[in-house]
Amino acid sequence: MIQLKHGFRILDEHCRGCLSCMRACPTHAIRVKDGKARYRAGNCIDCGQCLKACPHSAITATTWPLEHLDRYKFKVALPSPVLFGQFPTGITSTHIADGLRTIGFDAVRDYSVEVGMVSRATADYVANWNGAFPLITVTCPVVVRLVQVSYPRMVEQLIHVQLPRELAARELKRRFAAELGLAAGDIAAIYITPCQAKTISILQPAEEVESHLDGALAISGVYNAIVAYANTRKNDGGGAEEPFLHSAFFLRWSAGEGLGDVTSRHGTLRVTGLANVIQVFDDIEKGRLRNVSVLDAYACWSGCLGGNLTVANVYVTSSKLQSLISRLPETDAETSAEIERRYPCEDCALARPIRPRPVQGSTGTLRERVRTMELAETLRAALPGLDCGLCGAPTCRDMARDISTGEASSRDCVFLSTDRLRRLQQLYLSTGHA
Amino acid sequence: MCEELLRRQFEVRGRDFDKAGDTSAEVRSILTDLGLDPDVVLRAALVTFEAEMNVVMYAQKGTVTFVLTENEVRVDVVDDGPGIPDLELAMQEGYSTATDEMREMGFGYGMGLPNMKKHSDVFLLESEVGKGTHVGCRVHLGQR
Repeated sequence: MIQLKHGFRILDEHCRGCLSCMRACPTHAIRVKDGKARYRAGNCIDCGQCLKACPHSAITATTWPLEHLDRYKFKVALPSPVLFGQFPTGITSTHIADGLRTIGFDAVRDYSVEVGMVSRATADYVANWNGAFPLITVTCPVVVRLVQVSYPRMVEQLIHVQLPRELAARELKRRFAAELGLAAGDIAAIYITPCQAKTISILQPAEEVESHLDGALAISGVYNAIVAYANTRKNDGGGAEEPFLHSAFFLRWSAGEGLGDVTSRHGTLRVTGLANVIQVFDDIEKGRLRNVSVLDAYACWSGCLGGNLTVANVYVTSSKLQSLISRLPETDAETSAEIERRYPCEDCALARPIRPRPVQGSTGTLRERVRTMELAETLRAALPGLDCGLCGAPTCRDMARDISTGEASSRDCVFLSTDRLRRLQQLYLSTGHA
Repeated sequence: MCEELLRRQFEVRGRDFDKAGDTSAEVRSILTDLGLDPDVVLRAALVTFEAEMNVVMYAQKGTVTFVLTENEVRVDVVDDGPGIPDLELAMQEGYSTATDEMREMGFGYGMGLPNMKKHSDVFLLESEVGKGTHVGCRVHLGQR
């Protein structure tokens, strides 16, 4: 089994074992042992709920430091459309792009053309599909990992089309290598990301290939520098040049409307928020969701606009983007021509299929696994069913399973062992931060 | 070789559309927890779903028996429904005796039995008019 890379780390020195992250985790991937939280890497889908839930800042996200860029001769930024909704009025898309150059980027690209290509490729993919419905979009990496881990038989329903940022990275390397006479390895394509999960999808794409991107910088990591730069420009009256953004549909991609063709031609259901996505997936499994061709699913309830690495208020971002969209033409002649030219001759399909990553009970012979499962059912009946979490597992069901596999002991349950309560008192009352 | 490793029985009530799908969800969850091949899980869950839907739509009550052996998943559904007068006709794709109400709910496209056969490695259909129907499906586990 391939080791999953993850974007979160628990800092033991800050962790107080308060159970907040364990309770927040939708895939039950956290256990608290001896007063410290621990990940079960196989179950983690990188949604970042733990990071949000932790009251002690004990969970950190992996990002690339800015210095990472120094290794490359030519650095190109590919900003998520979300970036353009982050700044106060008066800071234009041109300021933002130029601001990125001052940080050390040699070029900044919008990927309208690739959004157009992916929108088309997706529509064709849906039209030619003859397997099970609904098909599921792959824009949100958390949704993809959720399917791989918790709904493994639905992986074939993931739309196997590349993401715009990946196509854009592939193209810009080809192009700048030719124009500047550089090796592709000297050129860095860096995504400016609204969330941690997209960083992970670059570190380790779901389809087990190398990403065309070389890294990601958080929107929150570039924000201050852009604001500082833009303020100097506003004072000397800059920002009158050719605007950086040319078309509205690039910005629509961030709002999940970039699917264009697909939404209008096929029955599309947009679902946001991890709990809602899980509920809809359960309904699909129960056969209760019919006549839906495409499920456009996002782990964040606000779509990508409220990603965990953004800065601005999500409502303000949404309003700013809508205002920008209304002022820009839907598309421009140059972008349309470029889509027409490239779409027929570029492969937009994922290089490899996305495979399931089921985690539970997959060790031992079938007979042993059945025995373990039945043992877990017996144990569960003996537990109180209150899901108090004091044993260090989020639910009694998880605890029963952990005991059946030898990863926990029934003596960790406060109802079954008063000794446990005494140990918890020592652990939690003596640390002196009550 | 064919010793039973696991056996579960579920009662399914006719006309209970609210609970329809729960049995197949349970079967799916058990097989997933056991780490079986997703394809096997999908097929076993599909045949169970179609079987329980037939009970919900046509019978007062039925029993779904789920058995796991080293080699296969067995799903047997016995109901007390009206029975099927013409088995050959019932196996035709698109043939359905569903009411408009059932169709409005998204069922009754005449694909239930054909789908069950398609996803089973062994498929058995027995019926007696006025008494009920027995559908038996076997899904082989394959190499693992």
